[in-house]
Amino acid sequence: MMQKKVCMLGGFAVGKTSLVRRFVSNVFSDHYHTTIGVTVEKKSVTVDDRDVMLVLWDLYGEDEFQRVRDSYLRGSSGYILVMDGTRRATLDAAFALQQTALQTVGTVPFISIINKADVRSEWEIDERTIEQLRERGWTVLFGSAKLGQGVEELFVTLATQIVHAAPIPRDCL
Amino acid sequence: MSVDEDWTQLRTLLLSPEQTQLDELRDRLDNRAVQPRDVSRVLPEAFAVRGERDPQLATVLTPYVENGFVATIRKSPRAIVDAIAPIMGPAIRQAIARALQGMTQSFNHSLDESLSVRGLRWRLEAWRTGRPFAEVVLLHTLRYRVEQVFLIHRETGLLLHHVGAEGAVVQDQQVLSGMLTAIQSYVRDSFGASPDQTLDHFRVGEWTVWIEQGSHAYLAGVVRGTPPETLREDFQAALDDIHAQQPDALTHFDGDAAPFKATQTCLENCLHAHYEPPPRPSALKLWILGGAMILLLSWWGVMAYQTHARWSNLLVELGTEPGMVVTVAKSTLTGYHLEGLRDPLAKDPSAMVVEAGLEPSSIKAVWSPYYSLDPQLVETRAHSMLHAPTTVKLSVEGDTLVATGSASTEWARETRRLASLVPGISIYRDEGLVTTSIPDLLERINRTVVRFRSGSSIVEPSERAALGAGSMALRELDQAVSQSGQRVRLEVLGSTDDTGSVTRNIQLSKERAHVVLVALGGDQLGEATTVIAGLAQSTDQRGSTGEARDRRIVTLRATLTVANRGNEAARP
Ligand SMILES: Nc1nc2c(ncn2[C@@H]2O[C@H](COP(=O)(O)OP(=O)(O)OP(=O)(O)O)[C@@H](O)[C@H]2O)c(=O)[nH]1
Ligand SMILES: [Mg+2]
Repeated sequence: MMQKKVCMLGGFAVGKTSLVRRFVSNVFSDHYHTTIGVTVEKKSVTVDDRDVMLVLWDLYGEDEFQRVRDSYLRGSSGYILVMDGTRRATLDAAFALQQTALQTVGTVPFISIINKADVRSEWEIDERTIEQLRERGWTVLFGSAKLGQGVEELFVTLATQIVHAAPIPRDCL
Repeated sequence: MSVDEDWTQLRTLLLSPEQTQLDELRDRLDNRAVQPRDVSRVLPEAFAVRGERDPQLATVLTPYVENGFVATIRKSPRAIVDAIAPIMGPAIRQAIARALQGMTQSFNHSLDESLSVRGLRWRLEAWRTGRPFAEVVLLHTLRYRVEQVFLIHRETGLLLHHVGAEGAVVQDQQVLSGMLTAIQSYVRDSFGASPDQTLDHFRVGEWTVWIEQGSHAYLAGVVRGTPPETLREDFQAALDDIHAQQPDALTHFDGDAAPFKATQTCLENCLHAHYEPPPRPSALKLWILGGAMILLLSWWGVMAYQTHARWSNLLVELGTEPGMVVTVAKSTLTGYHLEGLRDPLAKDPSAMVVEAGLEPSSIKAVWSPYYSLDPQLVETRAHSMLHAPTTVKLSVEGDTLVATGSASTEWARETRRLASLVPGISIYRDEGLVTTSIPDLLERINRTVVRFRSGSSIVEPSERAALGAGSMALRELDQAVSQSGQRVRLEVLGSTDDTGSVTRNIQLSKERAHVVLVALGGDQLGEATTVIAGLAQSTDQRGSTGEARDRRIVTLRATLTVANRGNEAARP
């Protein structure tokens, strides 16, 4: 089976771990345990009738004290930028992380998601900003790890982009 | 010079080169055999062309190749060994690894049989921890075992291939690969190490993870126990092999691990294991232990046999002993247990136990009392219940009690009433019993008169009969009285005629009384009789009147008194 490394990137407490856990084992917890270093999870998805195993590297969230090291990003076939809609600052973290990723792994597929859609009323990120992101060429999704909204879509979309971006394997020629 | 000659010369000059070629051609046409040089030019192509068409070539060549191969092996075996060693080596190593895994099984068997303290301890541990015994043995005898080997792509941390030893716990391999890669980055970043400084091993519980780096992939071995440093060389060799075999797949790895299935053998060769064989208990120790056991056993056997023989003897004796019936006899863990019936008049069983040579404490006996109908016991019982006087002889014939001898009429009457109440007796016969009543006896005694010659205190032969009758009556009375709880007071009274001095006469009276007393066997009379020897009063009825010869006598006077301890002091 094809395996692909995917990194979860974003500021602290945006819901990276929550999204992964919702996707892998369909559970959600209100408790916040900050990720230390990296947690690796895996789940296979089907793209064009082919199974792809996503090996998800759930990294610690970036903040002013901890920069995400590029060594974790190396070898990623794609990455997910997670933002917390209720905190505008997480957008800046996403920008910074996207730059780091670009430098480390080049132009691989990535998807950004604005999490916590279940508390849309408290969002600090407005429509205009989202529009700007799209103009930059970003794929911006909305989701809620809490409700499980947009989670499956998030990972499947990325997996599809990764498979399509990759040179078609030899044995299919 | 002739024209012919010139012509020939000219021809030679003109056609010489062609002539040589012509000669050669003619030569070839005449001699059509194939030239090796010519063949050598086309041989490879010829083989290729023919080989493609049909398998004829291979068939033709096979015997020659085979012969040649055999000849070569004979001539220089070394070269062949060198050539095939790289192929054989891995195969053999794999076989050895399999054999080592199999050893776990045989350990189990050998330990099953051995009774070593260690074996027992491990069994206990297995029981306590709920782990299989084989696993406990493995843990204790294992020096090291490479349980899992991961081949991981360096850049992506994705798993290329994985092998696990038989029975080893295989975790989520892909996740573990990622974590192993992440841990390395984390450690390197945290210590600010350069990319070529790598984490080469770390411990997790009882496992050590050994990491060996290659240019595109690295090898992680999960090892239980303490591996030798040489293991690293094997890892490195395997990694080098893989890099050499799969250069393309490694450089262009895009997540498809399929090509790395080919590394299976290479990785399996890294699944080394080394066990420490359990020490065999030394033969000498075993012998000594065995010998001691045999000695102990035989000693115990002899003791048990002896005790058992004594026990059997005791049972036989108890069985033949009158008045005892054994109902339960069994051996218990601590000794023996006896239950039965015992007549109170029967022999003491605990004395019999001691006589049999058994430890009384080892036998627990419960006896219930009963009346035995054994004639001997019935007789004893009749004697003690009926208080038979010694003058009576009791004998038992079946259920009949027969009394002979003599007894007082009172006793005879009493016995007739009581005899049938004695357990075991239903009929009583006393035709052979002579009965006398106490008043009769008293009368017979008191009638006794022993006469003496003048001045003599010697019992005359003529008086013997009278003395005998008195003595007999006295004895009977003694018996009879002892039954009724009374006592007899017997006075032996001597007297004289008037001749001679008074002093002499008193002296003579005493002497005569004493002689008669002795003749009566007074000191041998029963307990019931108190005897007093003395002088007859002058007012004695029998001696007061009549002739002098009637006054040289000794008379007896027996009276009955109520038994009284005080009287005993009066006995001579
Ligand atoms: N309301 C709401 N809360 C969420 C959602 N997703 C995550 N959370 C909460 O946000 C907090 C942080 O979630 P995590 O998933 O641990 O965030 P993280 O990005 O992994 O954080 P770090 O590992 O520290 O960087 C937790 O208390 C979650 O319960 C969501 O969709 N809606
Ligand atoms: Mg987290």
